[in-house]
Amino acid sequence: MKIICIIKQVPDAEARIRSTAAGIDLEGVTFVIDGMDEYGVEQALRIRESGVEAEIIAVALGPKRYEEAIRTALAMGADRAIHLETEEAFDPITQAKLLAKVVGEEAADLLLVGGKEADWDSAALGAATAEALGWPHSDWTTELELTANSAKVTHDADEGSEVLTLPLPAVITTQQGLNEPRYPTLPNIMKAKRKELKKLSLDDVGGAVSKIVILKQEIQTRERLNKIIEGDPMEAAQQLVKLLQQDKVI
Amino acid sequence: MPCYSEQVKATIQADNRRENGLWFELTTDQKALLGPLKDFLKTEVAPGAIERDKTGVFPHEIVRQLGAMGVLGMQVPEQYGGAALDTVTMALITEEIAAVDGSLCLTVASHNSLCTGHILVAGNAEQKAKFLPDLASGTKLGAWGLTEPGSGSDAAALKSKAVDKGDHFVLSGSKAFITQGTVAGTYVLLARSDQAAAGRSSADGISAFVVSADPKIIPGKPESKLGLHSSDTAALNFENLAVPSENLLGKRGRAFSDVMTVLSGGRIGIGAMGIGLGRSALEIAAKYALEREQFGEPIANKQAISFKIAEMATELEAARLLVLKAATLKDAGKDYTLAASQAKLKGSVEGVKACDYAIQILGGYGYVQDYEVERMWRDARLTRIGEGTDEVQHLIIAREYLKQFRH
Repeated sequence: MKIICIIKQVPDAEARIRSTAAGIDLEGVTFVIDGMDEYGVEQALRIRESGVEAEIIAVALGPKRYEEAIRTALAMGADRAIHLETEEAFDPITQAKLLAKVVGEEAADLLLVGGKEADWDSAALGAATAEALGWPHSDWTTELELTANSAKVTHDADEGSEVLTLPLPAVITTQQGLNEPRYPTLPNIMKAKRKELKKLSLDDVGGAVSKIVILKQEIQTRERLNKIIEGDPMEAAQQLVKLLQQDKVI
Repeated sequence: MPCYSEQVKATIQADNRRENGLWFELTTDQKALLGPLKDFLKTEVAPGAIERDKTGVFPHEIVRQLGAMGVLGMQVPEQYGGAALDTVTMALITEEIAAVDGSLCLTVASHNSLCTGHILVAGNAEQKAKFLPDLASGTKLGAWGLTEPGSGSDAAALKSKAVDKGDHFVLSGSKAFITQGTVAGTYVLLARSDQAAAGRSSADGISAFVVSADPKIIPGKPESKLGLHSSDTAALNFENLAVPSENLLGKRGRAFSDVMTVLSGGRIGIGAMGIGLGRSALEIAAKYALEREQFGEPIANKQAISFKIAEMATELEAARLLVLKAATLKDAGKDYTLAASQAKLKGSVEGVKACDYAIQILGGYGYVQDYEVERMWRDARLTRIGEGTDEVQHLIIAREYLKQFRH
């Protein structure tokens, strides 16, 4: 079977990101493969390691720097990669349409996508790609088991979980807890360079225009009130409760 | 001895030596290699560092994981399961490990550069095929037995004997301060097999042997040390240890020059280790100095503190450049003896100094264990002793430097 994992590259969660008048300044920021996508790659590897004959392809849509994240996926064990390279930013729905063309062309059986993209903080990509392909989709997936031509999944529901089966081909989006991704080994990181990385341009998939234009970006700033409640501990605690209720924290 | 693949070499050439001289940014390979490793160190290694320092328990599980990741075969060729990395990258990785856990760094550095390093330098094809795969995967840890109770800086004065019995040698002797002494699966032991030939120095007649763990190699109790508590250090005793002649590593009686090569390579790693510990202490001190307020303002605003930080940052960077230069020379196949000694001397001295300054900046907090800088100081102190003391580095540097002016 053919498994495609969609890869994104996002700023490291601990990176210090600055905001300037021109927008978000990413200079000097460390980028990593999106953690939710890593679950997808790991799951694909585990499917293969369980004895299923599978080719694993990492597919990414993004700027040139995405090569680093693609290399991580290859170093983890993906067989080859396709990079739809563009410096333009697209909204998730447009991204999904572009990616669906690549996935459709490859005639994949299973598409694994991160449950939430850490850059846009959007969970739309997997669902929208499923829509574009016309494939069934399981979101927030915490368990995945394959049979000959279907997938049995457990996925988070609002306050619980559901177990579903989906016919293949299908789109599975990941949730924390699906697995514990492996660390790529040093030899495999070096060997990843020799694996096939096919480059595609937007023209190769028919081009696209983003449906959304970003006008302004700002970074959330957390300001501390630095309020210290003094005096008798009992009274101070009551006052704290009152303040927290006032601000609707509790 | 190019022990990395042609492909890696090509990358070094393309990435590391830009046409207009030195290039100070990490290559794409180095970024790709360091990213997951730093992630591993932060997630799996850092949280237990204080505890391991207290208990002194050898971290078998972490070492196993590092083996699986290829960190225990950093310079071993791919055909033996290694990562075939260049020395520059190895130095960068060594610094990162030291920044998180000095004990673990010494385990990794000594395993890679001493035991494994000696087999890479002097081993024949059969020996490499037999011993390197287990060392590279971490299935077996390596120990290197040079130092003896009576021979340290004067390493050639070792007393261990190897008696030729035709198809095997019989080794007897004692070794002191052997890293991985009690946990190793593979040992390289240095012993005198022959008397020094007439007109040759006392270093002549010493041979090296590669030996699998054997009931006749008896480790002493792990040493109780100032620092590096979860690195394993022990004496070794062996009486009438029979070693097949095919385990003779390098030329009979001529192991000492291999020992010097092995130590030169190892020194790059120890320099990097000092820098890693010093850098970590510097980072802790810098953050502390910005937060800690005395006399109504952060102490970082006080010149007495900020100038210390400036000095630490500058000296560590200078030391790092020496380490990277020595590593670059080694990768280029040039003589790196002088550069390695300079790198080791500067890296260890500045590492210790940065830790000492960090303790001073943190004051009372620096002296207690929770803030880690006192551990870093204790760990770093070894780097001025192991693999050639400061004084031995001065000897080598003076000898190598003066060469050019001698007639």
